[in-house]
Amino acid sequence: MILVLEAAVLGVLTGGVYALMASGLTLIFGVMRIINVGHGALVVLGAYLSFVLWRNLNIDPFVSLVVTMPVMFVLGVILQVVFIRPLKADREALSVLVTYALALGIEGLLGFFFTSNYVQITAWYDTASFPIGNFRITYVYIYGFLLCLAILGAIFLMLYRTTFGGAIRATMLNRTAAQLVGIDVDRVSAVAFGIGMATAAAGGVVFGITNTFNPGSHYDLISRLLTIIVLGGLGSLRGAIIAALIMLVIEDITAVLISPVWADFVFFVVLVVVLLVRPQGLFGLRVRERL
Amino acid sequence: MRRALIATVAGAGLALTACGGGTATATPSPGTPITIGVSVSLTGDFSSDGPALVKGYDLWAEDVNKKGGLLGHPVTMKYVDDLSSTTQVVTNYQNLISSDHVALVFGPYSSLLTKPAATVVDRLGYAFPEPAGGAPSVFALNLHSLFFVQPAAIEDNLVSYTNWLLALPADQRPKTAAYATEDDPFTQPQIDKARKLLEAGGIQTVSYKVYPAETTDFTPLALKVASSNADAVILGTQVPDAIAFVKTFITQHYNPKTLIETAGPDQGAQYSDKLGANTEGIMVPAGWTSGSQAFNNPTFVAEYIAKYGGTAADISADSAEGYSVGQVVEQAATKAGSIDNQKLIDTLHTGTYQTVQGPMGFDSVGRPQGGVGVFVEQWQNGNAVFVYPAAVAAAQPEYPKHDWQ
Amino acid sequence: MRDRRVLMLLGLVAVLAVALLLPAISDSATTNIAVFTVMYVGLATAWNIMGGYTGYISLGHAGFFGFGSYALGLLLAKLGVAGGYEPFLFVPVAGVLTAVLAAVVGWFALRTRAATFVIVTIAFMFMLQLLAENLTSLTGGGAGLAFPNPPWRGGFFNIPFYYAMLALALVGVAASWWIRRSKFGLGLLAIRDDEDKALAVGVPAGAFKLTAFVISAALVGMIGGVYGYYVTFIYPQFVVDPLIGISMVLMVFLGGLGTLWGPVLGALILEPAQLWLAYNYGVSRLYLVLYSAVFLLVILFMPRGIIPSASELIARRRARAPAARVGATP
Repeated sequence: MILVLEAAVLGVLTGGVYALMASGLTLIFGVMRIINVGHGALVVLGAYLSFVLWRNLNIDPFVSLVVTMPVMFVLGVILQVVFIRPLKADREALSVLVTYALALGIEGLLGFFFTSNYVQITAWYDTASFPIGNFRITYVYIYGFLLCLAILGAIFLMLYRTTFGGAIRATMLNRTAAQLVGIDVDRVSAVAFGIGMATAAAGGVVFGITNTFNPGSHYDLISRLLTIIVLGGLGSLRGAIIAALIMLVIEDITAVLISPVWADFVFFVVLVVVLLVRPQGLFGLRVRERL
Repeated sequence: MRRALIATVAGAGLALTACGGGTATATPSPGTPITIGVSVSLTGDFSSDGPALVKGYDLWAEDVNKKGGLLGHPVTMKYVDDLSSTTQVVTNYQNLISSDHVALVFGPYSSLLTKPAATVVDRLGYAFPEPAGGAPSVFALNLHSLFFVQPAAIEDNLVSYTNWLLALPADQRPKTAAYATEDDPFTQPQIDKARKLLEAGGIQTVSYKVYPAETTDFTPLALKVASSNADAVILGTQVPDAIAFVKTFITQHYNPKTLIETAGPDQGAQYSDKLGANTEGIMVPAGWTSGSQAFNNPTFVAEYIAKYGGTAADISADSAEGYSVGQVVEQAATKAGSIDNQKLIDTLHTGTYQTVQGPMGFDSVGRPQGGVGVFVEQWQNGNAVFVYPAAVAAAQPEYPKHDWQ
Repeated sequence: MRDRRVLMLLGLVAVLAVALLLPAISDSATTNIAVFTVMYVGLATAWNIMGGYTGYISLGHAGFFGFGSYALGLLLAKLGVAGGYEPFLFVPVAGVLTAVLAAVVGWFALRTRAATFVIVTIAFMFMLQLLAENLTSLTGGGAGLAFPNPPWRGGFFNIPFYYAMLALALVGVAASWWIRRSKFGLGLLAIRDDEDKALAVGVPAGAFKLTAFVISAALVGMIGGVYGYYVTFIYPQFVVDPLIGISMVLMVFLGGLGTLWGPVLGALILEPAQLWLAYNYGVSRLYLVLYSAVFLLVILFMPRGIIPSASELIARRRARAPAARVGATP
């Protein structure tokens, strides 16, 4: 029983990290209606950036975010303008291919510079833990979770308290109408993509501390992130966060209770079951849409 | 209509350009340079081991060329990336042999890729000495042309360790053991055999878990093992999970009396730079250690450091395995007086060959025999050394394992 | 008009002749590349039947590829079929089994639309991969599944597989061609253009979509079966591989989504290129970067694919000439 509780706690903590990564992904979908299958690769890129700063300049990974987040934000804006904005017809289908190509390109470049050896960001405190009863919780997971709360909180604040946030929400609801009321949807899209990248950077740091990774690690990540945002409802930030928490808790409990072998499978089963009942996901809007 | 026309013209053009003729291979005349082709995993799932193999092969090629080449033929190594994929590995060996007409081929990384590659190479009549495909299913292929260049078949890797454990005095011996392994043809057979032997010896199994190799988060698994409080922990891992398990044990302040992992601790710097001083006491089955005195090993280690830098502890066992493949082929060629593939195949099935992993011979399906087996290596003070059996031990086994730092 | 038709027919015959005689005029390494190339011709054409004609983009087709592979492998193992020509006879059975699976998966997946559908297909693909990994007593799990090893020697081995793949590709193209000319195909295109309107006009969208999905999957499954037999060993992560799924999509987009010959052209260009790039540049690790650069260039500059873009170009050229004459002032 204790084990189940431990697993649940672990699930919530890692769920926070996935929530952070998924939030960027769902935001991008909401604003631009594109599925960024390269998001996993972007997280790995963020992890490598922090890794380089830590390895060569001894900068603490959480501190490195001060550098990596703005860098990734700018990179995101550039990528959106260069590769995604030009897509006119068949935008959603093509965007999948474009973002996948970007993911491959990033994987190739990372492989070129870092080879495919597994690396991990190690901070001096990464195995420090504090006890709760018989169980010990690693500090790093707590820091990661707090970081997620902070960033997600900031995003919510921006979305609901600033004018620009309002513009983003408007674009997410109805792109054409937003244009009609004078919102520069192109600028909104670019910034949203940049924000998505910045959250990927943050997610990347925690991911990089808690996992060994190499350029090929993005595949596993993206399949889970995509499942999370669909479960939560495409475009819903709140949905992505809740879905991430639910998924990770269920997965970790299954791993410990039944078998790790079926934990990943359960992930997808939950998705299928929910979609049967609610095809739009937990918090998605029921819209008639074309791809 | 128009579209179809464009397509057919383009298609026909492409099809024609793809055509090529083929010529038969012939044994090269003395003195001519030869190429040895290898498919390595430089990208994809096995890409963390590919580069280490390349280093080993390259070092051997250099050494053999210093002596005038393989039977007088200067050697050039040709590497192609198989993307850790079946499709590519099959294509690579076909290209290497039928298009590029390399003189010889060496094997790729992992039993998974070795199997399809082996059937292709066998079909085309080449010898297939390989460093990394030793799972029981590889030998079940019944290929006469395959040779697994390691001191023992994979499934016996943990036998030395179980011997050591069971030989401990009864009051010191662990009472319980926890096992966790990837469902990989390399790791699982070892763990299953070890478990059988240890259970027969009276050590109770308190936890046994098999997990998919594709798992990304090993923490729940490690938690399960930690909560079992077993005296002995025996893990069937590769590098990423090897590290992940140890890290979780550290955070949970769980220090078993003995901990052994099937792969990871033998990968030198790739393992130690993530754990630092916490590698202390961790064991791994190894046929090779940097300190061993096996044939030419000190020279190998010195040359490796001279060429690639670092320290002896940074050298990965994969490099030694690659080097051994070269050694075996070199000796067989000398014995046969030829580099003709068929003659090499026949010769390799007889006699013993000396490598940096010790002596070895091969049975009719390529299983190694006559080797001295695989030993137990343990990290002590930042170096990995043989600790058992006593005949090769460079240090006493540290037991129980020191606590985490 | 007549001349063009005759020319086209001649062209087709020429291509077919080359395709049929290929093994006789090339060495076994080239035939190997041909096997994989024709495999992708079939895969791309099959995928196009769903993605191109109905507009429902499935990124999970690799799941059916893998399922077909395992289905054939397990059939052969259970029935104790020896290597040789016999296993090829069981390929259609694998196709039927895949069709059944596709019917079930399709029933779930087609309740969703657009982006959700894409992700659901991805989810199903990973579920299949996980099942293959974890039902170890059935599939062998990570240790893989072995196919019978035919007794053919070196140079000859690739040839029967080439013809098997060619046969499946031809079946796929024939199916694709027949669908386009049929009322079924018209219905599919209507669904692609506007599904709700199609429903309103009386097109049985649900049944049509599912049928297209099943046909597409069955073809892919059969090709997967032949693939497994060719490489002799299959493993979950290599046969249910997202890369296979995305490659077939990219080939269709390159050639022209929804056209008959687009997928064929896309495959003929991309697969040999990919194998060649990997062989020659993989070692320098720039292979992925180059591949992705090609990918991006194609999508950004020819987003509609080669065939539509090329026809447009020709049509525009042709339109200009008479207009000039007409507009010429005396």
